[in-house]
Amino acid sequence: MSSGKLSHSVAIILKALSLGYQFGFEIMEVSGLPSGTVYPALRRLERDGLVSSNWEAEDEAQKEQRPARRYYELTRVGKEVESTATKRYPLLSRLIPEKLVKTV
Amino acid sequence: MSLLPGPMDPLTETALNWLDGFLPIAASIVPPHRRLEWAKEWQAELWQLRHNPRRVANRGAAEIASLAYGLMADAAWLRLDWARDSARGSAASCLVTLFAYCLLCAAIELELAGSWHVFVQTLTVHFLGGFVFVAAPAMVAAVGTYPLRPLRCDGHHTRLKRVLSVRARWNLFLSAKVGLTLILGFLVSVVTAIPARMAVGRYADWVELFVSSLVVTIGLRWALLNQEQRCQKCLRMLSEPTRVGAPSRNFLEWNGTELVCTEGHGLLHVPEMQGSWCWYDRWVELDPSWGGLFGS
Repeated sequence: MSSGKLSHSVAIILKALSLGYQFGFEIMEVSGLPSGTVYPALRRLERDGLVSSNWEAEDEAQKEQRPARRYYELTRVGKEVESTATKRYPLLSRLIPEKLVKTV
Repeated sequence: MSLLPGPMDPLTETALNWLDGFLPIAASIVPPHRRLEWAKEWQAELWQLRHNPRRVANRGAAEIASLAYGLMADAAWLRLDWARDSARGSAASCLVTLFAYCLLCAAIELELAGSWHVFVQTLTVHFLGGFVFVAAPAMVAAVGTYPLRPLRCDGHHTRLKRVLSVRARWNLFLSAKVGLTLILGFLVSVVTAIPARMAVGRYADWVELFVSSLVVTIGLRWALLNQEQRCQKCLRMLSEPTRVGAPSRNFLEWNGTELVCTEGHGLLHVPEMQGSWCWYDRWVELDPSWGGLFGS
């Protein structure tokens, strides 16, 4: 997927991932995008190799007394696409704040 | 304003319980091999929502409706993507595509004819008056110029759990494909001759004859070649062509291209050069123990 074909919402999701937001709910919270946009977009990005996912270790989740989450992160190609999108749409950086605290 | 989650009001609690109950319904849409993981991910996401109820409390019913839509949209996307992947290169998608092209050509012809009566009459006249005389030699030309080789699907395969045998399905698919290719060739030749008919009248019949013979010969050759590039078991197109060996070592070992069935049914060895040990493409069937190497 080239940045030329990126939709605005996908560019926002890539930006959120690049700033350390790791799972669907976090991305929805920070971007204001609805779940009907965020989750299918994450699936598509994963299929296209821009994003990879892995499950949080069960003991980590148990320590915080919650179910294990599926974490998403940008791949090398995803990072390149994200950086191209950020150059093209500089306002993206202002839309999404840096992740400061860990979400419980 | 406190950032800590406050106590959940009964309405939000009810809404989240309703979403929990909705999860199995949406999960039934997800392809079976991804269902468990999908439900686990959404359970974690809904847990997050339950423990950060401000989002639901602020937006109320709109947020719950949006999440319910999100669940369905996510599940539906996975199902559609899986269906698209399954259909890619399959025998069914090949026949459906040919049928769709036939319908398209017929629709164009019907539109130009103006009525069903004229449409049927035109096709009958063109079929009996020209196509039958062209199709037969074209079929001979297509099959006659095709290199002789043993029948690819020799019937010595582990029987799949289906009503028809592997060989019957192979032959049925080939017949259907050839039939649809001939129909499409006929319709294409009729439609393409229309502009010529407007310009030169009855002399356009010669154009139609030429186009028919060309389209039918090419179409039939395609149908036969396409059959050669399919898995003998599932009839899916073989993929992942890989070069094996080096031409300089042809005397000692084989070299050529290897194609694989993505379902893991077998490999097709296509030699670069014919040798006494390998005159034709060679199909190597893989038993189920190889299944682990192929994706779901």
